[in-house]
Amino acid sequence: MPKKRSQVNDIDRSLYDIRNSEQEAERLSAGLTPQIVREISKRKDEPQWMLDFRLKSLEIYQSMPTPSWGPALDGLDMDNIVTYVKPNTSQQSDWESVPDDIKSTFERLGIPEAERSYLAGVGAQYDSELVYHNMQDTAAKMGIVYSGIEEALREPRWEELIRSKFMTLIPPADHKFAALHGAVWSGGSFVYVPAGVKLDFPLQSYFRLNARGAGQFEHTLIIVEDDADLHFIEGCSAPKYNVANLHAGAVELFVGKRAHLRYSTIENWSKNMYNLNTKRARVDAEGEIEWISGSFGSHVGYLYPMSVLAGRRSRSSFTGITFAGAGQNLDTGCKVVLAAPETSATVETKGISKGGGVQTFRSSVVATPAARDSTVSVSCQSLMLDDISRSDTIPAMDIRAKNVDIGHEATIGRIGDDKVFYLMSRGVSEEEARTMIVNGFAEPVSKELPLEYAVEMNNLIKLEMEGAIG
Amino acid sequence: MQNSFAAGATAQEAPKAITVNAMPAATWGWLKMNDAEAAVPAHLASAPNAARLEVEVNGKTVNPTRDADAFERALDSAAGRYALAQRLGAGDAAQQPSRQSATPEKELDATALSSYQSGALDLERTYTPARAFKTGMGHEGFGYLSEVSRGPHLIAAPAHASVCATLHVCGAPGAAAVGAVDVVASEGSNVSITIALDSPDEGEGIVGSAVRVLAGKGARVSIACIQTLADGYTALDDTGMFLAEGAQASVRHDVLGAGASFTGLSADLRGDESRATVNVNYLGARSQTRDFNYEITHRGRNTESNISANGVLAGESKKCLRGTIDLTHGCKGSQGTEHETVLLADERVRNKSVPVILCDEDEVAGNHGATIGHIRADQLLYLTCRGISEDAAEELFIRAKLEDAAIAAPSRAARAGIVRLGKRMFDDFEESLGEEIA
Amino acid sequence: MHSIETPGTAAIAAKPIETPGAAQAYTSLASPGAQNTALLDVRNLAASADDMQILHGVSLSIGKGETHVLMGPNGAGKSTLGRLIMGDPSYEQTAGSILFDGSDISELSPDKRSRAGLFLSFQAPVEIPGVPLLSFLRAAASGRFGQGLRGRKLRARIEELCDELDMDPAYLDRELGVGFSGGEKKKLEMLQLLLLAPKLAILDETDSGLDVDALGVVSRGIDAYRESCDGSLLIITHNTRILEHLKVDRVHVMVDGRIAAEGDASLIPWIDRNGFESFENASLSDPCCQAGDDINACPARTPSASASSLPAETR
Repeated sequence: MPKKRSQVNDIDRSLYDIRNSEQEAERLSAGLTPQIVREISKRKDEPQWMLDFRLKSLEIYQSMPTPSWGPALDGLDMDNIVTYVKPNTSQQSDWESVPDDIKSTFERLGIPEAERSYLAGVGAQYDSELVYHNMQDTAAKMGIVYSGIEEALREPRWEELIRSKFMTLIPPADHKFAALHGAVWSGGSFVYVPAGVKLDFPLQSYFRLNARGAGQFEHTLIIVEDDADLHFIEGCSAPKYNVANLHAGAVELFVGKRAHLRYSTIENWSKNMYNLNTKRARVDAEGEIEWISGSFGSHVGYLYPMSVLAGRRSRSSFTGITFAGAGQNLDTGCKVVLAAPETSATVETKGISKGGGVQTFRSSVVATPAARDSTVSVSCQSLMLDDISRSDTIPAMDIRAKNVDIGHEATIGRIGDDKVFYLMSRGVSEEEARTMIVNGFAEPVSKELPLEYAVEMNNLIKLEMEGAIG
Repeated sequence: MQNSFAAGATAQEAPKAITVNAMPAATWGWLKMNDAEAAVPAHLASAPNAARLEVEVNGKTVNPTRDADAFERALDSAAGRYALAQRLGAGDAAQQPSRQSATPEKELDATALSSYQSGALDLERTYTPARAFKTGMGHEGFGYLSEVSRGPHLIAAPAHASVCATLHVCGAPGAAAVGAVDVVASEGSNVSITIALDSPDEGEGIVGSAVRVLAGKGARVSIACIQTLADGYTALDDTGMFLAEGAQASVRHDVLGAGASFTGLSADLRGDESRATVNVNYLGARSQTRDFNYEITHRGRNTESNISANGVLAGESKKCLRGTIDLTHGCKGSQGTEHETVLLADERVRNKSVPVILCDEDEVAGNHGATIGHIRADQLLYLTCRGISEDAAEELFIRAKLEDAAIAAPSRAARAGIVRLGKRMFDDFEESLGEEIA
Repeated sequence: MHSIETPGTAAIAAKPIETPGAAQAYTSLASPGAQNTALLDVRNLAASADDMQILHGVSLSIGKGETHVLMGPNGAGKSTLGRLIMGDPSYEQTAGSILFDGSDISELSPDKRSRAGLFLSFQAPVEIPGVPLLSFLRAAASGRFGQGLRGRKLRARIEELCDELDMDPAYLDRELGVGFSGGEKKKLEMLQLLLLAPKLAILDETDSGLDVDALGVVSRGIDAYRESCDGSLLIITHNTRILEHLKVDRVHVMVDGRIAAEGDASLIPWIDRNGFESFENASLSDPCCQAGDDINACPARTPSASASSLPAETR
C-alpha cells in the first residue's frame, strides 16, 4: 500500500481538501454562451466538425428541461460556473516537469507512487486540462494507445475513429447535461487496445478539480477491440468550497467481441460538487463489461452507468456502493439494455445513508424483443444508519422479449442491534462494531477493487462513520 | 400518449384523457412508467342505476344512504387525533439549515432534496391527515369517477358490528357505469365488501368503482373486487384507505377482463399496529392493457403491509404495475413487503414493473422482489410429458388464472362474471368449472 | 480384477450393437418370443447431449403387461434412456428407433407421446407457480377419456385417487409443486400415473431409492397401477429395495450407455450382493463374448461380459 494513502487512516478528510492557490494560466468567464464555447474550441486547435458539434450541443442544452425526478439542482447556477480553467502548465510525461503545487497534490493523493508500483499508465487532469500522461513502454509496445483525447484528435490516425465514436453512445440530446458536456467538454483520456491484446496492469486516470466555482467536463473514450482485455481505473476528488462546482464528464466504452473491460471508479468529490456524470458501454458478442463503482463524495450525484448489450451472449455486471452523509443527495444506480439474444446482466448494489444524507438507488432494465433467452438478476440492499437520513429504491423494468428471466430483490433496513451487541460483548466498541458491520456490508464491492482502492474505500467508510454514534 | 387505447372511443371523437395512477416518486420519463392516461370519452352518458349496492348489518338488510359529506366529516374527526409531524426526516431543519433560510454560504450544507422528497416532507409537516388522504388513481381519476357516480353511497358500520356488502356495477354499451362507496367502519367493526365490475352485454363503455375507506380502531375491512368486463370496456377501479390503530385492511383485486383496465389503491397506515394486505391477480390476453398503482404509506408505529401480485400475460397484452412502499419518518417498527410474479406466456407481451421502496426511517424493514419469466424449458417439458402441448400450456396458465379466481370468487355474481369471461375463451369452461362449484 | 486380454475385443463387443441382425437376436434374448407383441421396442438407440455421446446403441423390448427393471451405476445413462423415450428435447437421438405400439415415435413431441400412452415419472417434478394442481390435471386429462371423465366426474376420480394415495385433496387447489415436500411430489407423480393410466409407465426412481417414505408411495402407486390396468412398467433404479414384492419379468443392466447384461428377476438379488462393479469391469475390458459357458454362475446373459470376468464367488 502506498505510504501516503495510509494517512487516511488517522487523519481527516483534509487530504482531499488541500486547495492550491488558483494560479491558473487562464480562466474563461463564468456562464454559458456560444462565445464561450468558441473560445474553448479555439484554445484546443480542434477540427471544425468538433466546433460545430459543440455549438449544436449548446443549442440542445438550451432547449432541454432540467430533470424533474432527481435531487434538486437549484443550487447549480450555470451563470456562475466557469466552464474552462487552464492550469499553469502544458501536458507533461514526467512528474518532475509538473509544477510543484500540482505535483504535490497528486503526490499526496498517491498517484505517482501507484504508477510506479502497479499501474501500466496514468493520466492526470487538473481542472480543464491534462497535466500528465504517461504509459509504460511495455504497454506501448503491445500497440496500446493511452493518451489525452485532444492529443489523439490531432493525429489523423485517430481523428476519424474518434469522430465515428465520439458521443454516439451518449448523444447530446440524451439529457441536458450530456448536451452541456458536448458543448464544453475539455480533457479526458483516449484508450485504444488492439485486437487480442491483454493488458495485465490497469490504466488509471485521475481527475482533480481545484478551481473554485468551476466545472470539469472531461471525455473518456475507450475502445477495446475483439478479444482484448483492459482494466481501467478512474479516480476523482476536489477540495471543498462554499460555492457549487460541477462535474459533467462523459465516459464512452466500446467493448469488442469476446473482449473484456473492467471499469472501476472511486468517486470522492467534495461536498459542494454537483456530479452529473454519464457513463455508457456498448458490448459486442460474447464481450463483457464490469462496472465497479464507489460513490462517496458530491453534494448532489446523478450517476447511472449504462450497459448496452448489443451482441449475442454479451454480459454486464455492475457492482456499486453509495454512501450518502450529511448534506448529500446521491441518486445512483445503473441502466441495462438487453438488445441481443442470450445476454446476461447482474446488478449488485449497496447503499448507506447517514447524518441526514439521502441515497437513492435508481435503475432501469430494458429487454428489447431481440433479447430472447436473456437473464437479469438485480440485488439491491440499503442500510439506514440513523433516523434522520433517507434511502429510496426506484427500480424499473420493461420486458418485451421471449424467454427472459428477471429476478429482482431489494431490502432496506438498519444494522441489527443483535449484531452490535454480539460484537460489543466480545469487547469491541460500539463505533468499531458499527464500522465493522458497515465494512462487511460494503465487502462485495471492496473485494472487487484493487487492494489500494479497497483500503481507501474502507478508510472513507471509517471516516464517515466517525462520530456516527450519538 | 402513453397507455392510451382505442376502446370506448371511436376515431372521430376526440377522447378526453385523464392522467391516473401516477407513482409518488417519479423516475425517468423515457420509460413511460410514471403515470398512465385513460381515455374517458366525454360523450359517454352516466348510466342510470348501473350500480347496485346491497348491505347487511349484523345479518339484517339495510338501505344504504347517499351522503357525500359523511365520509369527510368522519375522517376529519378520526384524523384530528393525529398531530402533524413534529420530528422530521432527511434534510430537516433540526439537523441543518432549511432550504428557505439557507444563506449562500450554507446552502450547500443542506441536502438537495428531490421534488418528491421535499414534497413528502411538506406533506407530513403541513397537511392534516384528512387533507393527506388520497386514492391510488389520484385526484383526476377519483374526480372523474365521483362525477359519473353522482355521489357515493355510505356504508356505516356501527362499533363492533358486522357488515357485509356487495356492489355490483354493470356496464352498459355506450355509457359510463360507476359505483361509488364510502365506508366508515367504526371501532371494532368488521366490514366485508365484494365488488363485481361486470358487463353481461358486449359493447363499449366505462365501468368503474370509487371506494373510500375509513377503518377505525381495530376495525377489519376486506374488499374483493372482481373485474370481468368484455374487451370493449375500460375498467377504472380506485380505492383510498385510512387506517387507525390496529385496523386491518385486506384487499383482493382480480383483474380478468376489459380491453383496458386501471386499478389504483392508496392506503394510509396512520394508526400504530395497523396492517394492509393486498393480493392482486391479473390476466392479460389479446391486446389488453393493464395498469396498476399501489401505494402503501406507513405512518404509525409497528405497521405492516404486504403487496403480492401475480399475473399472466398472453397474446399481445401490456401491463404496468407500480407498487410503492413508503416508510415515512416515525413509523418505527414497521415492515413493508412487496412481491410480484409475472408469467409471460407469449413473446409479444410487454411487461413493466416498478417496485419502489421509499424509506425515511431507520427502524424498519422494507423488502421487495420480482420474478418475471416465461414458461421455463423444464416446466414446459414436464407439461408436454403429461400430454399438454406448448399451445395448450399457454392456455393452461390463462385458464388456471380464471379457475383460481372462480374458486375464490366471493359472490355468485362475481362467479357468474368469471364463468362468462371464461366461456368467451374456452368452450368447455363452464362445464368443467360450473359443475364443480354448483 | 479378471480380464482376458484379447486383442480386438472392443470391436467384437461393439458388433452386436451395430449390426441390426445381432440386435434383433439380442432383442429376442431379452424378451423371448416377444418381438411381435412388443409394446415398446427400442432398437440400436444412440443419443447425445451437448455433443457428448451418452447412449451407444441400446436395444430393449418390453411386452404388454410386463414389468422391466433398468439398473446400473450412477451416470450410466439410465435416466437419459427414459427421457429419450419420452422425447426430452435436450437429448438428441442420433441413431436407432423407438417403436411404441407398432409405430415409430422418434419424431413425436412429448405431448403426443404422452397421448399415445407413454408416461415418464420425474425424479423431481417442477414447480409451476400460478397453476393450481387441479387445473393442470384437467389439462393433462383433457381429451383423453372422451366425454366420460370430465368436469365433476374428473374431480371425483381425482379425489378418489388422492384418497387411495393418502394425499390431502387440499393440494388440488394449491399451485403445482410449489411448497410440496419430497413425499408429496412423489404422490403427485403416482396420482398422475393412476389418472392417466398409460400403456407404459417409465418410473425414474434413481434418487428415491434411499427415502423410505417415497419408496412406500411408489410401491403403492405401482401396485395400484398394475391392478387397475394391465399396463407395462419400466422401473429405473440403482437400488433394489424398491423392487421387493414386485413381480419382475426382466432386468436390464446399463453401464456406460450400453446394455451390459440382462436376465430375469434373479439378477436382482445377485446385484444386491455384488453391485455393478463386475459389469463395469466387463465393460472396461470387454472380453470376447462367451455367454453360455458358465451361465449359471451369474443369472445374466450378456453380449459383452463373459462369465469368466465375473467375480469368482459367483461361479
